[in-house]
Amino acid sequence: MSTYVLMKILESAPDRYDRGIRWLTLGRLERAYDRLASHIQEGQRVLDLGCGTGALTLRAAERGARVKGIDVNAQMLEKAEQRARGAGFTATIEFSEMGVAELGNEPSESYDVVMSGLCFSELTEDELTYTLDEVKRILKPGGLLLVADEANPESLPKRMLARLIRCPLAVITYLLTQTTTRAIDQLPERLQEKGFSILSIRRSRLEDFIEIVSRKPRGIQDE
Amino acid sequence: MNELRYVLINIMETLLRVLPIPCATGLRVIGDPDEHSPVLLTGNYHLTVERVRRALRGLDCYLLIANSRGINVWCAAAGGHLTNHDVISALKTSGIEQRVAHRRVILPQLAATGVEASVVQRKTGWKVIWGPVYAGDIPAFIDHGFEKTPAMRQVAFPWTQRLEMAAAWAFPISVISALAAQVVWPDGSIPLALLVWGLALLIFLSFPLYSRWLRPEGKRVGFVFFDFGRGGLQLILWGAFMLGVVGYANWEGILSWDVVWRWGFASLVVVLVLSLDLMGSTPVYKSGLHEDRMLEVVLDENTCRGAGFCEQVCPRNCFDVDHRQHRATRPRGHLCVQCGACIVQCPFDALSFQSPTGETIAPETIRRFKLNLLGQRMK
Repeated sequence: MSTYVLMKILESAPDRYDRGIRWLTLGRLERAYDRLASHIQEGQRVLDLGCGTGALTLRAAERGARVKGIDVNAQMLEKAEQRARGAGFTATIEFSEMGVAELGNEPSESYDVVMSGLCFSELTEDELTYTLDEVKRILKPGGLLLVADEANPESLPKRMLARLIRCPLAVITYLLTQTTTRAIDQLPERLQEKGFSILSIRRSRLEDFIEIVSRKPRGIQDE
Repeated sequence: MNELRYVLINIMETLLRVLPIPCATGLRVIGDPDEHSPVLLTGNYHLTVERVRRALRGLDCYLLIANSRGINVWCAAAGGHLTNHDVISALKTSGIEQRVAHRRVILPQLAATGVEASVVQRKTGWKVIWGPVYAGDIPAFIDHGFEKTPAMRQVAFPWTQRLEMAAAWAFPISVISALAAQVVWPDGSIPLALLVWGLALLIFLSFPLYSRWLRPEGKRVGFVFFDFGRGGLQLILWGAFMLGVVGYANWEGILSWDVVWRWGFASLVVVLVLSLDLMGSTPVYKSGLHEDRMLEVVLDENTCRGAGFCEQVCPRNCFDVDHRQHRATRPRGHLCVQCGACIVQCPFDALSFQSPTGETIAPETIRRFKLNLLGQRMK
């Protein structure tokens, strides 16, 4: 799934983002998001980091959760708001143009679930560290952090193969949009370091895409 | 050793100037700062960071490098690649809040096109001070108690910068045309590359000679500043030139497909060089690429209360502010490059853009969608 870097092109024109993303990933991203959203229960408070056009946000709302979606891209948010209105979720979905650096303003232990689809790979190193700390703070004890993102494969042959596929795509994207994404190293380990317990990990066949379900411990005995 | 490294980096990255070159973001400590030392911020374009660090030698301060996607501050801010979010992120996630007791950050003035001082302050508590345009003025700016002279607020286009821009254009075009010449005219590669360099240097270095006839609002400003979007006058001239070549070759009895190919290719390269967005390559003119976006800044005198932010951020010194009468005027409005910084920063929304069709573009639209997206919005 090295093609994720191409999404930066799609993002520059949100109107074609949703269609393009289905085509690029052959529906795999949709299925990954379905699996992540299946962990959400009715009535839960959910935060969607880097919600984009609202793919995960709407799934969470469909399961009966109250969702806040945040993103720094005003154009993508406009699209997300349209979709939420179209689906009739205006009462349970709230969108806000803000970055992860503003998570400090969210109250402690106020969310049951925090989701992040293809957001961590766009953050700088400082931002990722800050985000993991803040997510841990704003999650209720026992709350879930659900992540789906680009990853660096663990095994060397797969790592090289992924690089080979990704490199030309990244160059094209960079020339067109002057942006790129950064596949993340050892995300499960980083989550554990921050004190999250990993409930499940699912990797793509090439190991360049990872889905993680992790939990903030309930109390001291849990850690 | 350090000097040599600095010179090499400057040469290499000037040749590749049209490409973004990112470097690591985050906090850099300069000298031996304490909790009262100034905090400065810039984008993560590698060449910028190198130059800023050099300008800060001998000072004790903190330098925050925000994520501008490897693009220089002005282009990144105008294009929506250096935003409120990137500045907020640098302030909140770099650890600077644990290092200093104050909450004042000096931003490059040219970031004012894309970063809203009021939003940054509301969301983080950090007060934004608009620093000078050029990093070289930072030490004097700090010495003067964060006051800017008019010269520190203004963009210039001295010969050093003109040489840089000539090299930045000549290098990629000469490489591409020399490679293409390998196919149609192998012997012509080197002369063609030299021709491209010669033309680029001539156009940029002689800029002061003809710039007095260029007007930012004037669209038909002379051959070298035409582009293909303007009705293709250069294509007509190119066609006429080629007819001349064919006629001459026929007259001399040397007409062949080879001759037409070679001269056609070489002159097309020349036309391409002359058709670049050269006005947009200068800091003193609005890009000539989008005639439909030739906007005009309009100042509403009834809404203006003389806050003076426009004067602080205008890179062309268009504004005068009467701080006693609380009123701004735009006596040098003809110099405007339509960067939009004054509109974005005005706390009373007294400034706005007006399109050629008379349509007003509200400040809120510019703040949200930045300049490069306005084109889509205006249609």
